[in-house]
Amino acid sequence: MHRKYELVYVVSPDASDDQVADLHNQVAAIVDRMGGQIEKTDNWGRRKLAYEIGRHKEGTYVLEVIVGSGDLMKEIDRRLKVTDLVIRHLVVRVDEEQERVERARTKRTESSRRRRLARGLPPDRQPGEGPRGEVDEDRDDRFGDLGAEV
Amino acid sequence: MFPGGKRSAGGPKGRAGQGQGKDAQQRRPMFRRRKVCKFCADKIDDINYKDTKLLMPFVPERAKILPRRISGTCAIHQRKLRVAIMRARQLALIPYTAD
Repeated sequence: MHRKYELVYVVSPDASDDQVADLHNQVAAIVDRMGGQIEKTDNWGRRKLAYEIGRHKEGTYVLEVIVGSGDLMKEIDRRLKVTDLVIRHLVVRVDEEQERVERARTKRTESSRRRRLARGLPPDRQPGEGPRGEVDEDRDDRFGDLGAEV
Repeated sequence: MFPGGKRSAGGPKGRAGQGQGKDAQQRRPMFRRRKVCKFCADKIDDINYKDTKLLMPFVPERAKILPRRISGTCAIHQRKLRVAIMRARQLALIPYTAD
């Protein structure tokens, strides 16, 4: 089963860069062992936390995009839970959402192209055509009115 | 241009008419700017928990989620927004509460 997951974990600010790298290697080892694949790793660096966790006020954020099975993510989740250096982590499955976004985007451009062609315009927007031209009509308006009263 | 005449229906029912009951106000109800869903208008398909810049306007001061009736967000997007905010909170990107 190949699903795409995003894993974000927050490492304690006391950790050195080596320790952060080591943590990444640990995750990579688990992914490797269970037949997964790391698609992307992104270190956001040190950020201020929105609220205190334990006594920490900031933390190092690391994002990993992992393709693999649910069991793999379960194992990673378990390991991160018992790792004291990681003060917070989150696993989210993203493949379905990404597909949906992709579909919505292609549908939007296609319908806009079709409408433009029907009006005898070139399919793509020309420079200097105004902030938003005819694409307006395809705005989702169905629920826009319900909450008019404050 | 707003499609359809749906907009005008909200007018007379507005607070101005009910509260004071003055004729003048009833005839010309308080004009309120039409609210549109930001995500529909800007064609933002992906409401992501990592995008704090996008989420912050929807969690004002006390860090509560801004209700739909105020922000004008459509139901579909408000739901996605809620999930994104909850995830961002878990990672301490957005506060649960401001004290």
